[in-house]
Amino acid sequence: MSPRNPAHMRLIVALLLCIGLVPLASGHHGWGWASDEITELTGEIVDVRLGNPHGEVDIDVGGETWTVEVGQPWRNERSGLTAELLEFGNEIKALGHVSNREGEQLLKAVRVTTREGHHDLYPDRVPDSD
Amino acid sequence: MIAEALVSVEAWAPIVALRNSVLAYPIVNAAHVLGVALLVGSIVPLDLRLAGLWRSIAIEPLWRVLSRTAGAGFVLALMTGLLLFATRATEYVESTLFLGKLGLIVVAGLNAIWVSRRLGSTPGRIPPPVRRGAVASIVLWLGVLLLGRLVGYF
Repeated sequence: MSPRNPAHMRLIVALLLCIGLVPLASGHHGWGWASDEITELTGEIVDVRLGNPHGEVDIDVGGETWTVEVGQPWRNERSGLTAELLEFGNEIKALGHVSNREGEQLLKAVRVTTREGHHDLYPDRVPDSD
Repeated sequence: MIAEALVSVEAWAPIVALRNSVLAYPIVNAAHVLGVALLVGSIVPLDLRLAGLWRSIAIEPLWRVLSRTAGAGFVLALMTGLLLFATRATEYVESTLFLGKLGLIVVAGLNAIWVSRRLGSTPGRIPPPVRRGAVASIVLWLGVLLLGRLVGYF
């Protein structure tokens, strides 16, 4: 490829522009978008959307609706977090990392506590002190 | 009306099963990635050749192999994409990134059709508009790939 050819230069510039946009992908998956601190929220379930790619449970926390991101089916299953425990009106406690994005009331849960006890979605990320 | 249709698609038993599946969903997801890989993986070298790279290589055999591979990849990506979309239809239609991706697919598809027709009607030398179309094709399809990935992150 001759870099002196203007058509080639345009192509290279366009490809570099595309690659340059990649860092924008700072993550809904993964943890990059969330705070490092652990936060606890308690509230009554007002909406539930379980399944792939991950489940979401909306809870009412003192009049404000927060979305708690739970796991994909296998992760919820492994922790014993079933759909029956996440029914409308049930109270749950969610421990996890809140979103760093302004105005977004979203918490990615590492542990959800229901009437059946703790469900550790990410056991390695649950703080030691209980 | 569209909203009702999307709700019933999400509630359709096979789609509910896919949404709640442990293995089927990641398999469909992997097949979608395979479709994109075949599409982009064949369209990039083909477009680079059309844009003027590797002039000693004949276009005709390259075109025959890569355009069909790209087409097969597109069909696979489309079918698996419809399945993935159906599991969260009401949420995806509200995603600007997803709608932008669909728009870009339409533009990239029309561009592909135009390049292929223009090329078929002028054997031999590649006219400059086709070269520009080929460069646009690379940018558009990479844009589709990028937006598709960003949908999962925002």
